Amino acid sequence: MDAVTKAKWDKVAPNFDVMAGYGPEKRWEPYKRKLFSSMGYGRILFLAVGTGLDIPYFPPRKSIVGIDISDKMLEVARPRLDAYDGEIETHAMDVHEMPFDDDSFDQVFTSCTFCSVPTPVKGLAQLRRVLRPGGDLYMFEHTGSRYYPFRLMMNLMTPLTSRVGPEMNRDTVHNVGAAGFELREVEHVYLDVVKTIHATA
Amino acid sequence: METRPYFVFGDLIANGGVGAFIGGISALVFGPAWNMLVAMVLGMAIGMILSLPMALGFGALFGAMEVMLPVMTTGMVAGMVVSMSASMGDVGLGRGVGLGVTSGVGVMGVTYLANAVIKRRTPKWTQ
Repeated sequence: MDAVTKAKWDKVAPNFDVMAGYGPEKRWEPYKRKLFSSMGYGRILFLAVGTGLDIPYFPPRKSIVGIDISDKMLEVARPRLDAYDGEIETHAMDVHEMPFDDDSFDQVFTSCTFCSVPTPVKGLAQLRRVLRPGGDLYMFEHTGSRYYPFRLMMNLMTPLTSRVGPEMNRDTVHNVGAAGFELREVEHVYLDVVKTIHATA
Repeated sequence: METRPYFVFGDLIANGGVGAFIGGISALVFGPAWNMLVAMVLGMAIGMILSLPMALGFGALFGAMEVMLPVMTTGMVAGMVVSMSASMGDVGLGRGVGLGVTSGVGVMGVTYLANAVIKRRTPKWTQ
């Protein structure tokens, strides 16, 4: 397991909801609900669980395996996990080292995850490995921007934000393709920075 | 385009507030003795740096990227406008704050417009 990344998220876990739990979640709620409404009836992998802020938006009665690199985050998420009307099995796990069999999931969902995975293309390749051929990858992610002055600011901020949390200038759409997925749809939620991505293995 | 009143008013408060603060600071720091180009560059840098912690604070209430990006742009623009104005002639605190608020509201409007254009240009992209 990547000890540096784990330690970073363990450290922010107790106060994570102070920054992310109200304004950002309320603003993104309609888009997240729409994305998660695509959850089907097969085996579903969700990452990263974090403090469980996404769980209230999951449709009920699904069978979900959730992972997060930080067990401290999962501890904070416990009340939201317990409140879910369905099954969520959680594991403290690094996406680069998932022990799941090949082709063992029907769908994979991510939420604000690949701004933080240290080697995103390798992490996405692991998702492709565990996803059955033709299976769906649905992502809610923030990325870098093509447009000035937003691109400039995000490039300037990344050295600072990456110390305490995410990188701001990732090209996640490109990374999804580079990991071997077939891109189906990209929808912009805010500028070209916050977006939903649908791809298939 | 964002139409929920809580977030529209939140964006107004965040951008107007940060613009006022940066405009006021810039009016106090810069004056006619400054070279305009130096004042502009420094004003932009100071505005962007000082707006970051404010953006994080407002972001917790009103959104993440939707607050941080326009608010930091507001800091940059307000710093630039007021520092340049101050280098051309004395700008009092009140006028600096006013220019800052105007910059903030302007940036918010431009960002709303940019968001609408970008979303319309590529509302759904399929490969």
